[in-house]
Amino acid sequence: MKRFEELIAPHLDAAYNLARWLTGNDSAAHDVVQESALRAFRFLQRFADGNPKAWFLTIVRNESYTWLKASAGHRWVAIGDELPEDYAALSHSQTPELQAIHTENAALIQQALCALPPVFREVIVLKELEDMPYKDIALVVDIPIGTVMSRLARARAMLKLELMKLHDHE
Amino acid sequence: MNKLDCTVCQTLIHGYLDQELDPPMAAQVAGHLAACDECARLHDQARLLKVSVKRQAPYYPAPVALADSVLAAVAPRPRAVEHWRKWLAPVFSAAALALAVVLYVVTPGSEQPLMDEAVSSHVRSLMGEHLNDVVSSDRHTVKPWFTGKLDFSPPVFDYSAQGFALLGGRLDYLQHQTTAALSYGRARHIINVFILPTPEADKPRQSQTIRGFNVVSWQASHMRFVLVSDLEKSELEAFSQLLKP
Repeated sequence: MKRFEELIAPHLDAAYNLARWLTGNDSAAHDVVQESALRAFRFLQRFADGNPKAWFLTIVRNESYTWLKASAGHRWVAIGDELPEDYAALSHSQTPELQAIHTENAALIQQALCALPPVFREVIVLKELEDMPYKDIALVVDIPIGTVMSRLARARAMLKLELMKLHDHE
Repeated sequence: MNKLDCTVCQTLIHGYLDQELDPPMAAQVAGHLAACDECARLHDQARLLKVSVKRQAPYYPAPVALADSVLAAVAPRPRAVEHWRKWLAPVFSAAALALAVVLYVVTPGSEQPLMDEAVSSHVRSLMGEHLNDVVSSDRHTVKPWFTGKLDFSPPVFDYSAQGFALLGGRLDYLQHQTTAALSYGRARHIINVFILPTPEADKPRQSQTIRGFNVVSWQASHMRFVLVSDLEKSELEAFSQLLKP
């Protein structure tokens, strides 16, 4: 109990934030974090040392993906090796890119982020909202540390694209 | 000259922005950016995008009900504890004080328990609703609040301009001594600054990691400073430079 309070409880906000972004849903995020916390509590003796936040968020991420699978999304894990085809067209569009990117419109940012597949959305959430270093992101999303940078590069390119799309529609 | 290929550089830009490149690689990227307009343009865009997301994307903190139910699920009697805390806190303080007097005579001061206690206190301050007794970003409100409650005068400054906003202060109890605890916010991280008097001589700054938290401590002018946060070590050290230039 004491170990749980010290190691896990301080990261409930981070856990909820990640689950909320991945599931897109308050009650799902609630269930995911609750379940993850119980798992963490049960397996706490297996956690020897290292970063408790990354360890807990790994559990939260797995639980979030389990929920996503169960809720029957089908395009959610589509990673795709190439940027979407409309990328080329858009990058030559009239929209001033800077205007689209440097938005003060929170709803727009949220909408654009939610449009990204979860594997790209999560690295942006972990980097920009949690301020985690690459080595911890690598642990949480279970990829080699060398891949984190290229994943983020792709994620940011896709986010830019989404923002430009939304900007065009406005 | 510069051997970086633009395609490679356009990925490295991100590591560069996130300060994850080693110095020689960062220098290569910087060199390339100075010479290549297209990469420089993408770098600027990525930088703005980062700023937009950090500023505008909502952060969803755990609802209070969730934190309660999680703790209730793992604890046998959390309600009892809360109840006990609320009503018996003054009694507990008195008992702790008495115990402290006894222990102070028996045990010599040592470093590690203080750091450990500070980390525990940091965690407690975030779990309950007791981060601050006096909530203010105005040092002229926070500092006088301590007067009469402490037998020393802790330095209280706001560093909002440098990105570390003063959130408030509270009384804490470390190493059997009444301690000033100041809280600062950095993005979504909380920093607790514990200040307590010591008869010992000045000691230089040192950093350590305890149970996943970063801790920076030093002694100056007969005061001990202990900073605890889940903030990155380098940022916490940068903050400590502000307190002790």
